[in-house]
Amino acid sequence: MSVGTEIKREAEENVEQPEAKKKRISNDDLFRRSTQFEIWSYTQESLDKTKRAANAAGAKIATQKFNETFETIEKEQPEVFQTHNETLNKDKLLTLLSFEEEAKYLNYYTQNIIPIAKFFKMPTQVKLTAVSFFRKFYLSNSVMQYHPKNIMYTSVFLAAKSENYFISIDSFIKALKDTEAKDILDLEFIILQSLQFTLLVHHAFRPLYGFFLDFQAVLLHPSPLMYDVSVNTLGSLYDKAKTWLNDNVVLSEVAFLFTPPQIALAAMYEVDKRITDRYLKRKFLKEHHELDAIKEEDSGVKKEDSEVIEKIESTESVENGEDKKDGENETANEHKEKSTVESQREQYETLVRTIRKCIKIAKQVQTSSREEVKEIDRKCFYALNPKRLIEKQVKKVTKEATTS
Amino acid sequence: MATTSTTTAKTVPDSIVQNKYSKDRKVGEGTYAVVYLGNQVSTKRRIAIKEIKTGIFKDGLDMSAIREVKYLQELKHPNVIELVDVFSTTNNLNLVLEFLPCDLEVLIKDTSIVFKSSDIKSWLLMTLRGIHHCHRNFILHRDLKPNNLLLAPDGQLKIADFGLARSLGNPNEDLSSNVVTRWYRSPELLFGARHYTGAVDIWSIGIIFAELMLRTPYLPGKDDVDQLDVTFRALGTPTEQIWPNVSSLPMYNALRVYPPPSRQELRNRFSAATEKALDLLISMTQLDPSRRCDSTQALLHEFFTENPRPTEPENLPKKKEKVKSEDELDESNKRRKI
Ligand SMILES: Nc1ncnc2c1ncn2[C@@H]1O[C@H](COP(=O)(O)OP(=O)(O)OP(=O)(O)O)[C@@H](O)[C@H]1O
Ligand SMILES: [Mg+2]
Repeated sequence: MSVGTEIKREAEENVEQPEAKKKRISNDDLFRRSTQFEIWSYTQESLDKTKRAANAAGAKIATQKFNETFETIEKEQPEVFQTHNETLNKDKLLTLLSFEEEAKYLNYYTQNIIPIAKFFKMPTQVKLTAVSFFRKFYLSNSVMQYHPKNIMYTSVFLAAKSENYFISIDSFIKALKDTEAKDILDLEFIILQSLQFTLLVHHAFRPLYGFFLDFQAVLLHPSPLMYDVSVNTLGSLYDKAKTWLNDNVVLSEVAFLFTPPQIALAAMYEVDKRITDRYLKRKFLKEHHELDAIKEEDSGVKKEDSEVIEKIESTESVENGEDKKDGENETANEHKEKSTVESQREQYETLVRTIRKCIKIAKQVQTSSREEVKEIDRKCFYALNPKRLIEKQVKKVTKEATTS
Repeated sequence: MATTSTTTAKTVPDSIVQNKYSKDRKVGEGTYAVVYLGNQVSTKRRIAIKEIKTGIFKDGLDMSAIREVKYLQELKHPNVIELVDVFSTTNNLNLVLEFLPCDLEVLIKDTSIVFKSSDIKSWLLMTLRGIHHCHRNFILHRDLKPNNLLLAPDGQLKIADFGLARSLGNPNEDLSSNVVTRWYRSPELLFGARHYTGAVDIWSIGIIFAELMLRTPYLPGKDDVDQLDVTFRALGTPTEQIWPNVSSLPMYNALRVYPPPSRQELRNRFSAATEKALDLLISMTQLDPSRRCDSTQALLHEFFTENPRPTEPENLPKKKEKVKSEDELDESNKRRKI
């Protein structure tokens, strides 16, 4: 080994100490150490399970509260409850939200974050983080415990602070109806706890920008690969992909299921399948020689190139990996070592499958009619306020009794 | 990682906290937090508990507290202060941090301690490794100064105080130029730049490097205007030639024009520095941020591979009395237990 390379090796150790002997740390490795990956990544099944558990726990709490309230009121006027036993009866009165109703209700409130963010002229980042906070809160809580309205406002307020877009509480509440400073400030800490004190949210916009640059590098240089693709074409692809992220991803749950680069690629694929596919093929299937070169000489521009490749390799999605924490690193290494045509094809195909799945889920946003939401809203109110529900019923039956 | 089991919004009663961590005595008070010394009961490990005051600010949770929690949760590195745990007691947010009994400012000021050039190299290297980890996670520290470089009992240097940190990333996003303690503030910040990069942290580290060699602050401006003068007297006034478009920055004024220092002038000022040390210093204190080296380039600099090798952390100078008083404290603790 020449002196020059020896020094370089030592210097590289400086960079990566104390993991000196390991391979370079890629963006992908860094993402795997983020709380977003460690705490907030789910498979579709585990996400459903978590939400069902939150709904069930909420129902249990609401039921308990209902029972206690019912018994208190019953004790005050036992004769009324005896006479109207078929209406004033626990099973009949108990009002809870089903899992599906709660999901619809939460979607409705998630959508409401968008106009609020717009009203305050908040950057996209704040809006996305607010949505993330709101959704995460209801992975461990239920609307039958915390009404979503103020949780939504507080998520926006906290997200604004976390994303460095400070709004004073006074100017914030000035714009809201029937909400006081205390309503929000009291919830801020509760939300922070439900977030398990993790506030940093990685969104797909930064990787999207990275891909926009890399598309140019791969598809336009040294000479254009596709006769009808220019900087302008890619610019418009990038803009449309941003719009798609804004319209679809914000409202869906893909952020819990896929990594930000996967979501970014999904956006580009959905906007222009032909160009994106060409890019992916070029990256995976036509670069055997270049990939070998990257492995051997880890220098300059090529290094960056390999980083982009690692970024894509991260596609072994959060979704596919059952045992993500151990499994994934191996997968990444494996990918690097096997540079055979077959394994590259495999990677490419896995990636496209992942992207398609992401698009599909992103498009499955369920919207509900106003009437439906109104009905859920009414139920939620009674689940949270059983006293109002029972008293209303008592009034009703006694009134009927006197008039008839 | 927050190891608290708070998946639901419940508050841990104080008694449980006291079972898990002991709070021994108050060691300091910042603008938004009180810091206590304590132990993690299960491991006997010494820790610092930073109790963040909540409910006293008109606008809820303090921004500095939010930033500190946000970034420390993500950054796990031997040269970044470790956030051991986060828990809440009634109305308080508690950050459990590794215990770091000393900081670089204390050592620099203690004239009874001699710094060898290998010691300086070691501290600089650890600072750069820590900031490299921040930057590759797209996080800017924005308040690097000797007082925020804390020292562990085993000599490891840890970057602390992320109250001003923020994510870097969205192209075209406006950033505040009112960051970084004045003496360590880069020229682009002094000129009020709204777009900047990790180069602001590299500048601060360059100035800290100089301070380690000089044993006195390198660019101690008396106020913001004086800071410009002090900075450019030492390093030359930036012109359009050496820094294209500098004159379009908001606070750029036709300043007194100082010539850039000659190599010989720098040699005279930093008489103990090797040529490679000077090269690195010059590279980190380039006036034009785009010409300044980044953390990778700094770490790959030949200064770190030339002799002498950086001192092993455990052999670095320590604050003498401070170490003693800690021992005494341990002694008295033992005695109390017996
Ligand atoms: N991890 C730690 N180990 C030991 N002592 C610490 C630790 N962190 C903080 N301290 C002590 O507590 C004091 C207060 O720290 P804190 O970070 O709250 O405020 P600060 O940085 O000194 O001031 P400001 O809030 O104005 O930035 C510090 O000066 C230091 O003496
Ligand atoms: Mg400080």
